[in-house]
Amino acid sequence: MELNSVTLKGTPNGLVIIIREDSNFAEVLSELEEKILSAGQFFRGASMNVLYRGKFINKNQENQILSMLIEKSGAQIKSFGREPEKMDVGTDNMKTTGYKTHMNSLFFKGIEEGPCKFIRGTVRSGSLIKSDGNVVIIGDVNPGAEIKALGNIIVMGVVRGIVHAGADGNKAAVIVAMKLKPVQLRIADIITRAPDEPDIEYEEKSAEMAYVKDGYIIIDKIH
Amino acid sequence: MGEVLVVTSGKGGVGKTTTTANIGTGLSLLGKKVVLIDTDIGLRNLDVVLGLENRIVYDLVDVIEGACRTKQALIKDKRFDGLYLLPAAQTRDKSAVNPEQMLNLCEELKEEYDYILIDCPAGIEQGFKNAIAGADKAIVVTTPEVSAVRDADRIIGLLEANEVRAPKLIVNRVRPDMVKRGDMMSINDIIDILAIDLVGVVPDDENIIVSTNRGEPAVADNKSLAGQAYRNITKRIMGEDIPLLDLESSQGFISKVKRIFKL
Repeated sequence: MELNSVTLKGTPNGLVIIIREDSNFAEVLSELEEKILSAGQFFRGASMNVLYRGKFINKNQENQILSMLIEKSGAQIKSFGREPEKMDVGTDNMKTTGYKTHMNSLFFKGIEEGPCKFIRGTVRSGSLIKSDGNVVIIGDVNPGAEIKALGNIIVMGVVRGIVHAGADGNKAAVIVAMKLKPVQLRIADIITRAPDEPDIEYEEKSAEMAYVKDGYIIIDKIH
Repeated sequence: MGEVLVVTSGKGGVGKTTTTANIGTGLSLLGKKVVLIDTDIGLRNLDVVLGLENRIVYDLVDVIEGACRTKQALIKDKRFDGLYLLPAAQTRDKSAVNPEQMLNLCEELKEEYDYILIDCPAGIEQGFKNAIAGADKAIVVTTPEVSAVRDADRIIGLLEANEVRAPKLIVNRVRPDMVKRGDMMSINDIIDILAIDLVGVVPDDENIIVSTNRGEPAVADNKSLAGQAYRNITKRIMGEDIPLLDLESSQGFISKVKRIFKL
């Protein structure tokens, strides 16, 4: 294998990956992985911006590199994208165009197992519960209250306010409640609101779950 | 040692002042020594509702600033033994008082009186913070309207955040006929959302407007249905277990006749 399809370079702003123009992508990926792994604990716990330059790669390939970086380096990747062609000296060139498009891959990954916040009692109008993990409310969420979690939201009561699960973009996050009568439901960047018709009173025996399917939020009983 | 109760609602116009006046008068009728404090500085009303406007010499701000002794500012109601009013200043604003000063005043009054009722201004700003500073307990007043219930919910949250635990609920201006038709929130709907203890339900009653305009609390009027509701609330505050008024049956002559004939 030809060495040096990829070179890593540290800058005050973060990490730059230089990809050789005539390299093939599979090689780039495996070599990058090797380099990251050989750095051992070096990246672990660090928080950095990552840019790449050199060979043009497509979105899909960018995503592959990014997820590999997140997985193997143990670092918190604040942004990832192609380095701007013109580098303005002295300006913050980390604000790349790639940043926004890659936000979706940088979301919280702890919905299977991760930090969890427990709230006992009714969450009332005007209160905002924010969490960097999952949230469990033992009580109701009243109109005017807002719950914002990077992970799942479980409410052991009635939801009448606004709940936002997967707030940094994780579409796999779910919202579960004994009764879902929210003003708005949000999962990742998808927002739905209650229908305008007065709600039909029905006796739902089991809890309800909202999740994302084909880009829409679906509410279903828990089977 | 007395007890400090704050009467609050968040939303304006739901009947905080009327409720304060009636509960205060009701407690004094039952032989308690009661002080009513109007904390709505700049927009005082409690004195008008009690018919004591023309007797104000000193007010709350004078007491706080030390311009007079507390006793001097308390207006004794001559009709009801044991009822005193500490009126708000009208020419100042809420920033003339701070929560610590209110707390000290409440502590002082608690020594001598059985109940201190604080009439809280609408809103959640300085005036509200002053009003709840010295409170041991809270009475939240709401009407069966979505907006009033929404604000009550916010207020309950703020009370809890300020360590005023387990507030009690009064639902004011209920119209049983509208509830029956499904045009008004029922008491159960409200309790479902607010999840606090109910201390009383007051029916919508034209007589209240007349009595507040005249400065005669309805609670002293034995014929008034709202007055009866307030008398019951007063007793419940003192710890008696009284069933809720049956608003359905006390609507008027026709319904009474209907009831007799089981129609």
